[in-house]
Amino acid sequence: MTALVASRRRPFLQRLAQASEPWLYTAPALILIVAVMLVPLVLGVSYAFRDIKLLNPFSGGFVGLKHFEALATDQAFRTALVNTLWWTGASVLIQFVFGLILALLLNQPFRGRAVAQALCFLPWAVPSFLTGLDWAWLFNPVIGPLPHWFVALGLMETPQSILSDPDLAMWGPIAANVWWGIPFFAITLLAALQAIPKDLYEAAAIDGAGPIERFRSITLPFLAPTIAITILLRTVWISNFADLIVVMTNGGPADRTQIVASYIFTTAFRRLDFGYASAIALVLLVLLLTYSMLIVLLRQSFLKRG
Amino acid sequence: MAAIDITSARKSYGSVDVLHGVDLAIGDGEFVVLVGPSGCGKSTLLRMIAGLEEITSGEIAIGGRRVNDLPPKDRDIAMVFQSYALYPHMTVAENMSYSLKLRRTPKERITAAITVAAAKLGLDQLTERRPKALSGGQRQRVAMGRAIVRNPKAFLFDEPLSNLDARLREQMRVEIKKLHKDLGATSIYVTHDQIEAMTLADRIVAMNGGVVQQVGSPLDLYDRPANLFVAGFIGSPAMNMIPAIYRLVDGTGVAAVAGGHHLPLAGPFSIPDGTAVVIGVRPEHVTVSPPGSGGLRTAVDLVEPTGFGSILHLGPFGQPVKAFTLDRALGRNGAAVDVTFDPAQLHVFTEADGRRMDPAA
Repeated sequence: MTALVASRRRPFLQRLAQASEPWLYTAPALILIVAVMLVPLVLGVSYAFRDIKLLNPFSGGFVGLKHFEALATDQAFRTALVNTLWWTGASVLIQFVFGLILALLLNQPFRGRAVAQALCFLPWAVPSFLTGLDWAWLFNPVIGPLPHWFVALGLMETPQSILSDPDLAMWGPIAANVWWGIPFFAITLLAALQAIPKDLYEAAAIDGAGPIERFRSITLPFLAPTIAITILLRTVWISNFADLIVVMTNGGPADRTQIVASYIFTTAFRRLDFGYASAIALVLLVLLLTYSMLIVLLRQSFLKRG
Repeated sequence: MAAIDITSARKSYGSVDVLHGVDLAIGDGEFVVLVGPSGCGKSTLLRMIAGLEEITSGEIAIGGRRVNDLPPKDRDIAMVFQSYALYPHMTVAENMSYSLKLRRTPKERITAAITVAAAKLGLDQLTERRPKALSGGQRQRVAMGRAIVRNPKAFLFDEPLSNLDARLREQMRVEIKKLHKDLGATSIYVTHDQIEAMTLADRIVAMNGGVVQQVGSPLDLYDRPANLFVAGFIGSPAMNMIPAIYRLVDGTGVAAVAGGHHLPLAGPFSIPDGTAVVIGVRPEHVTVSPPGSGGLRTAVDLVEPTGFGSILHLGPFGQPVKAFTLDRALGRNGAAVDVTFDPAQLHVFTEADGRRMDPAA
């Protein structure tokens, strides 16, 4: 109380200087963040409410919620939304399962483990466009081996590209994405695995826990926060990740692999309708923010329990 | 409860031998302490008994049953780790009941066992807490509770007090001793702290370089160390080691030390005249008296007061020698004192292999 009274008696300028001090210290960082992040964000959001078509010099006017009204009845958008769920869900789940298995294997001591670890993390370093091209060629029946292997295994009657089959096309980019993204899960989960104290496993072994019970009661609880945060990150990245689809299928055949991100890309850079593309992007942003909040809450509750 | 028999147990990692054939018979209900410096193989031996390390050769039997190829969970032993190794996502009660749950013990029996153990360890109020919310001493107690509820054949302790501060360590030491008195369980306790070893053990196993140096009661090891290693390791402040030449003078043995001085020994020894020896004498057996009382005149180089007494750093015959005295008046830097040695309290070790020599009868 006395401190408060004393500060009220100080001259105005001194109080102003004191109040602005922390802001002045943080100003360089704040200005950078505003300039680099907030300005483009606000600009992008504003596009969603304007009519911006690059090929129409008279466009640019404010159109209110017109784009969103169009979106509500846009069948292509609805297909893309469903495809996004499918693409993201399958990619993340398969990447996670294989990444966890790989991390558990790499956590075992064996000869040449360092080399194996380095090799396993290689796909992460391959540019996504190259990955897309590679896998498109692998699925190509003329130059790629995969269709012939599928025939040999009896999965396919004649060698043909799954990328041109409307029912299977999505699995092409998903396969490429899984191959490319496994290392991310493997690296982060391996780091988390290595942070688990070995004594806990020994104590559990003495307490009578077998390998499965040890995995359930020690490994999983320790990995849970990492699993939550990596799945959150990957989900957001993958649902925004159009590279592989644009390179491998371009959304086709017949929009069967069109996801929201590739739809935004096509709308903005092929149809050059930036206003509509921004409106779609805004919807995607809101959906992802909601999802992220849910995962963060989940993680908090995990951490509190641990 | 059970006896543990170890027969020529060896352990090697590749071409490196860490245990060179250990033989040890631990009686039912005995408290045995394995003590030695870091890397002496004491923890490895304990982990071999627990089943956490494979036995390269030899045999370990618990309660008369060979356990070499049994996994830890089938050996019916409990272990307390240095890091406590509590499951962080489980409460105190869950930590203690985990092993019982895995054994499909009925719920009422689990609850009863936990209530008894928690009361015994003073954890009654904490059973719903997680380890994170406990102090070091409390965590230590939970780790012991986890061992007690199982009622195992033997308790294994791997440096359980190393992570506690000095005061708490002293307190937990007493609690462990009381617990052993209560339960009467066979216990093997690993430590590098010779005070812990002395105070807790029925028998001490002193180890160095993967070899058992001496097995005996704490006072045995203190009063009659088998070799230079045990002599130097047990006791604090450490025993003085004075290089000397053994001489036979008028039918009795003397130690010729630097500066031409002779220290009379307790009798003739069965070693040839002129053998290089090391004379060991504990600081409390170096008698210090005011100048003029007779003996070797020397100056006090340094005083370490411990409150109870003082450790004096002296230099008779040009050798550093520590003496422990209760007489505070003698403990002044630079003061002159007279030093005498009681022949009966001088330990003689051969310099060649460090073995203890006893006077020939």
